[in-house]
Amino acid sequence: MLQTFASSISSLLDTRADGHSLPAGLYTREDVFEADIDVFFRKHWICIGLECDVPEPGDATVVDIGNSGLIILRDDDNQVRVVHNVCRHRGSRILNAGSSVISKLVCPYHQWTYELDGELAYAPHMGADFDKSCKSLRPVNFKSIGGLIYACLSDNPPSDIDRLEEAMTERLAPYDIRNTKVAFQADVVEHGNWKLTMENNRECYHCSANHPELCVSFVDLDFGFDPESLSPEDREQAEQHEALYAERTKSWEADGYPSAAVEQLVDCETNFRTQRLIISGAGESQTPDATAASSKLLGTMTRKDLGDTHLWGHNSWNHFMGDHAVVAIVIPLSADKTLVRTKWLVHKDAVEGIDYDLEKLTNVWVATTDQDAELVARSHAGVLDPAYVPGPYSPFSETNLDRFAAWYIDRMRAHGY
Amino acid sequence: MDTKIVHPSSSNRNDAWDPERDDTVVCIDVHQETHDVKSFTFASPQGKWFAFDSGQYFLFDFPLGPDAESRCYSISSSPQRTSTFTVTVKRVAGGKISNWLHDKLASGTTVKAQGPLGHFVRPRGAGRKFLLLSGGSGITPVMSIVRDLADTCEPTDVVFLHAARTPKDLIFREELSNLAGRMKGLRLHFLPEVVAGEPSWAGLTGRISPEFMKLAVPDIAERIVMCCGPAPFMAAARKISAELGVPASSYIEESFDAAVIDETQLSIGEVVTARSFEVEFLKQARTIDVAGEQTVLSCAKKAGLRIPSSCANGVCGTCKSRLVSGSVDMKHNGGIRQREIDAGLFLPCCSKPLSDLVIDR
Ligand code: FES
Ligand code: FES
Ligand SMILES: [Fe+2]
Repeated sequence: MLQTFASSISSLLDTRADGHSLPAGLYTREDVFEADIDVFFRKHWICIGLECDVPEPGDATVVDIGNSGLIILRDDDNQVRVVHNVCRHRGSRILNAGSSVISKLVCPYHQWTYELDGELAYAPHMGADFDKSCKSLRPVNFKSIGGLIYACLSDNPPSDIDRLEEAMTERLAPYDIRNTKVAFQADVVEHGNWKLTMENNRECYHCSANHPELCVSFVDLDFGFDPESLSPEDREQAEQHEALYAERTKSWEADGYPSAAVEQLVDCETNFRTQRLIISGAGESQTPDATAASSKLLGTMTRKDLGDTHLWGHNSWNHFMGDHAVVAIVIPLSADKTLVRTKWLVHKDAVEGIDYDLEKLTNVWVATTDQDAELVARSHAGVLDPAYVPGPYSPFSETNLDRFAAWYIDRMRAHGY
Repeated sequence: MDTKIVHPSSSNRNDAWDPERDDTVVCIDVHQETHDVKSFTFASPQGKWFAFDSGQYFLFDFPLGPDAESRCYSISSSPQRTSTFTVTVKRVAGGKISNWLHDKLASGTTVKAQGPLGHFVRPRGAGRKFLLLSGGSGITPVMSIVRDLADTCEPTDVVFLHAARTPKDLIFREELSNLAGRMKGLRLHFLPEVVAGEPSWAGLTGRISPEFMKLAVPDIAERIVMCCGPAPFMAAARKISAELGVPASSYIEESFDAAVIDETQLSIGEVVTARSFEVEFLKQARTIDVAGEQTVLSCAKKAGLRIPSSCANGVCGTCKSRLVSGSVDMKHNGGIRQREIDAGLFLPCCSKPLSDLVIDR
């Protein structure tokens, strides 16, 4: 009998062995890239930005995902909106890349003019009978979860975003991310497939050797370790750390700050994980000496000892701390290029040079992001090599990669591949 | 035209005019104020009472010709007298609407009216000092303010300065003199440009100037200035006030020419006397003359200058340009944001010059 596949990608999905990294083609092939964009960036919820990207009425910013151009804007009623950056006349792009201040959305081609809610207000020379009412800019499904904007480009957005929304709305409330400002943004183009970018971020196996700055405040053990491979001294330390963890989580939760891990990583559509992590050293913030970088704390935070609320999705990672937050959004550009857009958020009234020192605020994640870009490029180059064979993930510190790969294969299949 | 005379009946005294639903008023009195100015008093046919603020206006549809013509006129009467309101209109040579009003609008005529509208109202709060500044028929909204203050006997500190062409053109001259004799805090200055027709005029003549202001209103910097009049008058008044230390936040103007100028047809005389301004286009290295009544865009077009545009109506923002220097009277329809205006941008399609301009185009 002749075996037929839904697509040539299906057979590639079949060759993935449990517990192992993905077959090369899934990282490198053009057709897989197109399928990835379609499945993971059009049919799933993705993080595209923040409310504070458009702080005032009339602020707009353009985000491009594959061939889709999205406009995030704030209208005159102070509401955030997301619309497609495609003119309803002959399709021209309306706004340029980057950020702008607008009073109406005016297509530069023939000046079709839209209200900020997308409604077509004015279309010159179209005749008296022309019906403007059905020519509004097409809206995009989106949700602001505690100030983080999640969009889904399909008409059937996965409903299990609910669990993320439920967990994060409560956790993010004290940080009041809606009332932050972007103190700094760094766009880094990594020379690697977006899944390598995500995998690299989901393990801290590589941390102690590669991220000296991050390791001052980050505890790599939090993401798993093999007790056997540790020296007796390190093992004792690890055990103490685990005990401390249990104790801290308990006391944070008793103080009203949800902290325990919530994960939805396999057998689901929306992939996420959140947990309040301990910051080591001075315990306050991800800075070179682990003390807070901003003296104006976020939202209603009054303490600096509430650790790091981390959140992963399949295209972003975030760290929310007492004094600042770091939000990274991942946007694939091609099979071998990925944009990592990192934003450092502080309280919207915090003043640079007075309340915070920009260098201290950004140092750790600027360095870490560069180091990771380097690692992802090395890894992509190796995966391209005909000698690459998928290798085994560590059962201690790379279990989340195995889950991610399983989720990836499962989601591809669910969408007909 | 409906000529039935309807007087307000007392049975409906408790019903208020509802701007959302009511749109018909009936003229119940016409009064000749000066040789070319008449006041028209209106009531609601149902006898409803009017709530408005002194300084507000009504938008009328007058039944001339096949299409009704719309015009806005400021209310000149006191808001304390709620059974009627009055507008005061100067006849403009060749002005279609003002002539119709003067010749045809009589007691008993019903017209469509929307309102009250507008935000030219005086800031409330204790201890405020005002300078009410009016040119020609721009007196109407500030007259309403003075009448309001007289009716309420509010403690006031008001300087009222009215400028006109000749002593004969001073509207409400007698009434204002009487009020000044009665109201403790009202100080009155009339400034005719020339004494024509009244050689015995005892006061100063001429146009407003910093020197005149310093004498007439020495404490102008401490006053809230409310100004209404023809555009060149308002431009001069604004400039002088700023020079004499009036902060922009204390300067309020009724940028509402229709109340003042019947702009459909200006008389030849007025076209000649209308000020024109030099407008320089930096990038195209050209300078043109723009009359104060014309938009920068329309004059630029006629002169063959290029400014991208589309709606010509302040909606789309296509013509947005940087105003390097000068000031304009801009009536946009949402095509520009306040923070863009604050950053020095303007829309030439809906802006009339108030001074010489330099534009980065
Ligand atoms: S394509 Fe946008 S107006 Fe023509
Ligand atoms: S041309 Fe549209 S705002 Fe000026
Ligand atoms: Fe890393």
